[in-house]
Amino acid sequence: MQCDRVQELLGAYRDGELSADERRAVLAHLDQCKACSALMATDDRIGQALKARGRTTAPPALAQRIRAELDRHDNRQLTTTATNRFMSGDSPFRVRHFAQRAAVLLAVSLLSAITTWQVLETRATNSHLERDIVSAHIRTLLQDTPVQIASSDQHTVQPWFAGRLDFAPQVRDLATAGFPLVGGRLDYVADRRVGTLVYKRRLHLINVFMWPEPSMADSTANATLRNGFNLLSWNRNGVAYRAVSDLNLDEMLRLSRELW
Amino acid sequence: MDDRATFERLALVHMDAAFNLAFALLRVRADAEDAVQNSYLRAYRAFHQLQGESIKPWLLTIVRNVCYRHLQERRRGGNVISLDESLGGRSGLAAIEAELAIAQPSPEAAAIHASEHAILSEAIGALPPAFREVIILREIEEFSYREVADIIGAPVGTVMSRLSRARSELRSLMMKRMNRDDKNAM
Repeated sequence: MQCDRVQELLGAYRDGELSADERRAVLAHLDQCKACSALMATDDRIGQALKARGRTTAPPALAQRIRAELDRHDNRQLTTTATNRFMSGDSPFRVRHFAQRAAVLLAVSLLSAITTWQVLETRATNSHLERDIVSAHIRTLLQDTPVQIASSDQHTVQPWFAGRLDFAPQVRDLATAGFPLVGGRLDYVADRRVGTLVYKRRLHLINVFMWPEPSMADSTANATLRNGFNLLSWNRNGVAYRAVSDLNLDEMLRLSRELW
Repeated sequence: MDDRATFERLALVHMDAAFNLAFALLRVRADAEDAVQNSYLRAYRAFHQLQGESIKPWLLTIVRNVCYRHLQERRRGGNVISLDESLGGRSGLAAIEAELAIAQPSPEAAAIHASEHAILSEAIGALPPAFREVIILREIEEFSYREVADIIGAPVGTVMSRLSRARSELRSLMMKRMNRDDKNAM
């Protein structure tokens, strides 16, 4: 056997993967060829070094990670089988079909009921609110003074609210626009303490109620009429505004634009 | 649940072998960990298909496939080579030392000079993956040529020639590195 052929088979020889005939031939060659036996010795040494070096071992936490992964898989499996059994398993098609229809019907009725209830509830709330506001307005007309802090200076009225309200209302004197500021007071509307600004237009008194309503988006003035009073409502920067007066609607809207 | 216990008992003992193969192929510890975790999930899902065969070669076949898919994705991902890999690949003493620190200690290990380990690690890293895997499967895991052939999905003849070429590459790489080190020592 030639050296190059032996060198081809050398690995298989070391690994014990040669036929008996080939093994004998390689062995016979190695006995007399120094070069090939040197190669064999080197391979042995490399083999030993590899074994001594051993494996790069996995971090101990990896077993935990694998178990957790298998847990997740088992849980998923469990849920899917349960769902499958419920949906298809033993129930005959008709029953399943009926059950599905019943479920859909139930869902639709429920949704409809909730929506109706919400609409009615919103209306009732709005109605209560409007009544509260108009009542508060009428009370101010019956009293000697509609304000607790009488001042046309916004820098006097605004600080007065500090500590009395849980938000800082925007206070502006609109005398230049024809709406002089009379002052401010606290009121109680819709089960909450609200800030109130009082403006004048000729002999008309205008109450502007304000309270925080962070979930409401900004909206422009929306007008309603109640007991002959004009009522405007709008939201700005998380504050709800309600303006009420016997003033005509056009001038009310002008005030709301001035305050916006 | 009975399957689960059986699977864990049979498969988890081969976690080091699985990780060693994955690390040899991917050369990045975090990637090797992910690959092994993923392989175990695949193995667990397919566990019922294993009938009467030995679990270790079957498991390592899955690990190898997962790793090759990962290598393919890496190649597709462009020339993004992580720092770890570039260090572990060709030359980089830090990576070799890191690898030495985590290599399994054995009585023989103490006897053999540390530099030989370093040279060996470097030489293995320099081999192409197809050579690396046959060396690992044969020299470390001591699979027969038939078993290696089954794992890498190639004929026995291919295993034999790859091993032969891998060893001669290792030989010459070792010679080169040792000579270089001797020169450095002088």
